[in-house]
Amino acid sequence: MSNKTHGASTDILLDIRGLKTYFHLDEGTVRAVDGVDFTVPRGTTIGIVGESGCGKSVTAFSILQLVEKPGRIEEGSIVLNTGGQNRVDIAALDHDSEELRQIRGKDIGMIFQEPMTSLSMMYTVGFQMTEAIRLHMDVEKDEARDRAIEMLQAVGIPRPEQRFDAYPFELSGGMRQRVMIAMALSCDPMLLIADEPTTALDVTTQAQILELMQQLQEEFGMAIMLITHDLGVVAEMCSEVVVMYLGEVVEQADVDTIFHNPQHPYTQALLESIPRLGHSHEGRLNPILGSVPDPYHRPSGCPFHPRCTQIITGRCETVHPDISRLDPRHTVRCLLHEESHG
Amino acid sequence: MADTAIPSAPTAGKEPLLRVEDLRKYFPIRQGFFGRSVTQVKAVDGVTFDVFPGETMAVVGESGCGKTTAGRCLVRAFEPTGGSILYRNLDGDEVALDALDNKSLKPVRRELRMIFQDPFSSLNPRMTVLDIIGDPLRVHSIASGSELEERVADMLLRVGLRPEYMRRYPHAFSGGQRQRIGIAKALILSPRLVVADEAVSALDVSVQAQILNLLQDLQAEFDLTYVFIAHDLSVVEYIANRVSVMYVGKMVETAATDELYHNPKHPYTEALLSAVPRPDPRERSQRIVLEGDVPDPAHPPSGCYFHPRCRYAQDVCATETPELRPIGEGHEVACHLAEDLDLRGITDLVPRD
Repeated sequence: MSNKTHGASTDILLDIRGLKTYFHLDEGTVRAVDGVDFTVPRGTTIGIVGESGCGKSVTAFSILQLVEKPGRIEEGSIVLNTGGQNRVDIAALDHDSEELRQIRGKDIGMIFQEPMTSLSMMYTVGFQMTEAIRLHMDVEKDEARDRAIEMLQAVGIPRPEQRFDAYPFELSGGMRQRVMIAMALSCDPMLLIADEPTTALDVTTQAQILELMQQLQEEFGMAIMLITHDLGVVAEMCSEVVVMYLGEVVEQADVDTIFHNPQHPYTQALLESIPRLGHSHEGRLNPILGSVPDPYHRPSGCPFHPRCTQIITGRCETVHPDISRLDPRHTVRCLLHEESHG
Repeated sequence: MADTAIPSAPTAGKEPLLRVEDLRKYFPIRQGFFGRSVTQVKAVDGVTFDVFPGETMAVVGESGCGKTTAGRCLVRAFEPTGGSILYRNLDGDEVALDALDNKSLKPVRRELRMIFQDPFSSLNPRMTVLDIIGDPLRVHSIASGSELEERVADMLLRVGLRPEYMRRYPHAFSGGQRQRIGIAKALILSPRLVVADEAVSALDVSVQAQILNLLQDLQAEFDLTYVFIAHDLSVVEYIANRVSVMYVGKMVETAATDELYHNPKHPYTEALLSAVPRPDPRERSQRIVLEGDVPDPAHPPSGCYFHPRCRYAQDVCATETPELRPIGEGHEVACHLAEDLDLRGITDLVPRD
């Protein structure tokens, strides 16, 4: 990895380098995020995919320094470029600092799988939204109210003036998700981190929310970091994809390459294991051997080697592969490619 | 699926194993000090379908549509409010499951088993795998002691677990392994019909494929019939021979899987199929985005329950409730306009090159 491009391009909104987030537990240290590099270009949607335990959510929480004890960011930088020469390394900020609080919610908004993790039962939707707006923007109460109603309208909530005074429990799951999106976008963030935003929703509601996110992106121009295990959602939404396995990025490329020319055996196996609409006559599914190892017993060498069908016996068990750059936008962490690309 | 031994028309010339007619399950809503029943939630409101031996019949729909309640009525975990469930036993006689008392139900329960969604909450954490899987054998006084252990060991092998693990507790297993334990428990009594309620929904994608393959292998090996309750339409297309779609407690469409996916006749089915995200950026489908939410089953809309969200709705849809009626070979639909609509199936929804 060359450091020459580091933050040099103004097209890069977020630049994550060597991020390590560990959890120190009695049973041992869990290396939830173990040396992750990727960049988020301005105004695009980047997908972070992987199965449970791959570290995708911890990566997102690290970006906002929301990792709670016993978890800790051990190493690495998370550089946010808010425009011009305004670069700030979030990983270096104090987790209580005013500067970080301004980034959370203002520059970076976040939505979760379960809306009730970010909405309080005890306060009305309007109260929570205006509070967030007034925290980050220098506006009067009435202005904040107008802004909140405008955002509720933008996310397609019918009768926003009435819903402004509703409590979250009075709303359906899809409506709550919309409220959370409205809240996350109310301060016009440059990056929206969406952690499994549609996983708990039904497929027709999911379609509504995905459509909404695409519309809002066109309108407000924010970048979206979409964290999901659903390859269908990734294919529909993202232009760039990061595939994670056991805390590492194993492959990164544009969406078409990931789905049509994947190079890491894990990406290939993942794509072969899912049922696809209209393809059910093509025979049995091809599952990946075994399951994701438990985090205390991380395999040596390449973490995927015990499940890999293309293992180079004698090498993959011991050698931890480096990142190989196959072309400017395509990287893969696998010995099969290290051999050929040196 | 083409190379497995599933006949293309599983219903041809066979007597149904299960006939469900006008099944209803209402839950009272109680209010006030004396718990007076003020109204009812019609969770399942007139569901009719047949299940043929050896097939996988899927029931799909969104949360709150009543698919889980219907599944639980089939194994009499819930008492149906009305309708009939006729089960053809090994002697070829039809038994009305809804009318059996607990004593006469017991022998039938051996033949009807259930697999649950959540492999974490459906296994008792204080019981060993041996006790969990062997429990039904004990309850039905079929085996005990070393014979029971042998049968559990054999079943563990068949679901892909090592018999050495039988003295361990559920917490020592991963999600996929726990689901295998749940499957072993369901199959230990050699049932004929298995109701699988969202059996793979909680699993990681790579493990989901293992369990789907296992369910297919076991079906062939033990001659099982599945009622597969699920919301994931890609999984259902893969595993089911026939599919029924439910919406707010009612069945809106039933057909053979290929027919339903390529030639849907109900606007709700069309919208559901269009909403499934395709794992291929070259197949970004033209989503039909439905307005609004699934209605509250305690206060359903008038006429066709789907009409407020339906883009084809006419005046008649708001006033008259459509009945489920045949519209082609093995294809039933509850829509006033079914003949007049030209709906898009999965191949019409993606731009072809």
